[in-house]
Amino acid sequence: MSTIHFEIVTPEKTVLKEEVLQLTVPTKMGEITVLPHHFPLVASLQAGVIEIKLLDGKVETVALSGGFIEVLPNKVVILADTAERAADIDEARAEEARKRAEKLMAEKREDVDFSAVQAKIAKELARVKAVRRHRSRPGAKIEF
Amino acid sequence: MASTRDITRRIKSVKNTKKVTKAMELVSAAKMRKAVEAVLKTRSYANLSWLTVMNLAKIAQKDNSLHELLNQRREVKKVGIILITSNRGLCGGFNSNIINKAVNDPTLTPPLVRGGEKPEVEFVILGKKGAVAHRRFGFNLAAEFAKPDVVTQVAEVLPVAKMIIKDYLAGKYDKIMLAYTDFISAIKQTPRVKQLLPIDLSEADERLGTVGKGDNINEVKEIIAQKQEKYFAGQEYIFEPNPKEVLNEMIPRLLEIQMFQALLESNASEHSARMVAMRSASDAADDMVDDLTLYYNKARQANITREIAEVVGGAAALRS
Repeated sequence: MSTIHFEIVTPEKTVLKEEVLQLTVPTKMGEITVLPHHFPLVASLQAGVIEIKLLDGKVETVALSGGFIEVLPNKVVILADTAERAADIDEARAEEARKRAEKLMAEKREDVDFSAVQAKIAKELARVKAVRRHRSRPGAKIEF
Repeated sequence: MASTRDITRRIKSVKNTKKVTKAMELVSAAKMRKAVEAVLKTRSYANLSWLTVMNLAKIAQKDNSLHELLNQRREVKKVGIILITSNRGLCGGFNSNIINKAVNDPTLTPPLVRGGEKPEVEFVILGKKGAVAHRRFGFNLAAEFAKPDVVTQVAEVLPVAKMIIKDYLAGKYDKIMLAYTDFISAIKQTPRVKQLLPIDLSEADERLGTVGKGDNINEVKEIIAQKQEKYFAGQEYIFEPNPKEVLNEMIPRLLEIQMFQALLESNASEHSARMVAMRSASDAADDMVDDLTLYYNKARQANITREIAEVVGGAAALRS
C-alpha cells in the first residue's frame, strides 16, 4: 500500500509530519483530496479544515487559516499561515474568539483593518468547524 | 611602583566595570534564549518554503512566462545588498564580520562578474551599525530601515521586502543579495551572503537547511544531496487556480519568509555574540583584579619593609 510523506509547517512550528494515506484540503477552488501518486500540484489554500487519513485509518482534523500546498511525486508539504490540530483547540474559546471578531466587524469603526478582521473571522470559523467535525466522528476522543 | 592608594582605586574601578559586563552578559543570555527559540521555530518553514521556490524556479527555466520573479537575468549592472547588523555595539566581532563578508563578497569583485565590469552596489541596511559600509567603504546606501530589537512577526520585515521586490521588478537592481549571520550555536555564528534574486540555481544554495547539523563541508554536502533526491520534482506542476494567481501570492510571501528568517538568525547570533563577548570581558576583569591585588600586596609589603628598615636604621643611628 502506498503512502504519502506529509508535512504541515507554519512559521511557528511543524504541526504534523507523518506518513498518511490521503488528505483533503480546502483550496481556493474548493476542496480537493490528494491520494498517493498525485500529479505535482501547487495551489493556494483558504481558511478551512484539513482532513488527514492516518495509516491506522483514523482521521486527523486540522484547522487552517490559509497558506499553500505543494504536491510532489513523493511528498506533500503544506506551508500554512497558522494550523492547529483539532484536538488542541478548545471549542468554547474558539467560538468566543469568533464572536469577538464578528462584533469588531459589526462595529464599523474606521480604525479597524477590515480585511484583517475578515481573515480572523475565517480563521476562527475554521477552528470551530475543525473541532465540531473532530467531535462528531464516532470513536474520536477529545481530552480536556 | 605605584602607591597602594592608586592600586586600590584601580581595583575598585575594574570591579565596577565587571559588574556592568556581568549584568550585560545575563541580559544577553536571556535575550538569546528567546531569539534562539524563535529561530528554531521558523527554520523548518523557511527551509521548506525555499525548496519550493527553487523547485518553481527550475521549472521557470523552461517556461519563462510563469512569474517574473522566477526568471534569470543575464547581465548584472546593479546589485542591491540587504545588510543585517545590530543596533548596538559591544558584541565582539559580530558587526565587522558580516560587514567585511558583505563588502568583500566575490560576486562584487570584477573578474567574476559577467562582462568583467564591476557592478554598481547599493546597500539597504537594517540595524544602525550597517552605516559603516557607507562611511568606511564608500558604498551607496539606498535605504536604512530601523531594526526592531524583538522580532516576532513577519510583518516586521514587510517594508524591506516590499521595497526590494518592487525595485527588482522595476529593473532598478539586477541582483539582490542578503547578508546576515547564521546562528549555529551559542559560541559559533557564521556570516553569510545569500543570493535572493534572481533565484540562484547554479550552486543550489549550499547551506540550505543544513544549519546546525554540522560544520564539516562534506557532511553538509551529503545532507544537501539527500534533500535534493528527496525533494526535486523536475517535472511540471499543475497550478490551481492558475499559475499567475498562485505565484503572485506565493513568491513574495516566500521571499518575505527568507528575510524574516535571516533577521531572526541575525538576532540570535547578535545576542549570542554579545553574551560571549561580555563573558570574556568579565573573565578578563577577574584576571585583572587578581593581578592588581598581587601588585597591591607587593606594594604594601614593600612599604612595611621600608618603614621597618627606616625604624631600624634610625635606632642604629641613635645607638652609635
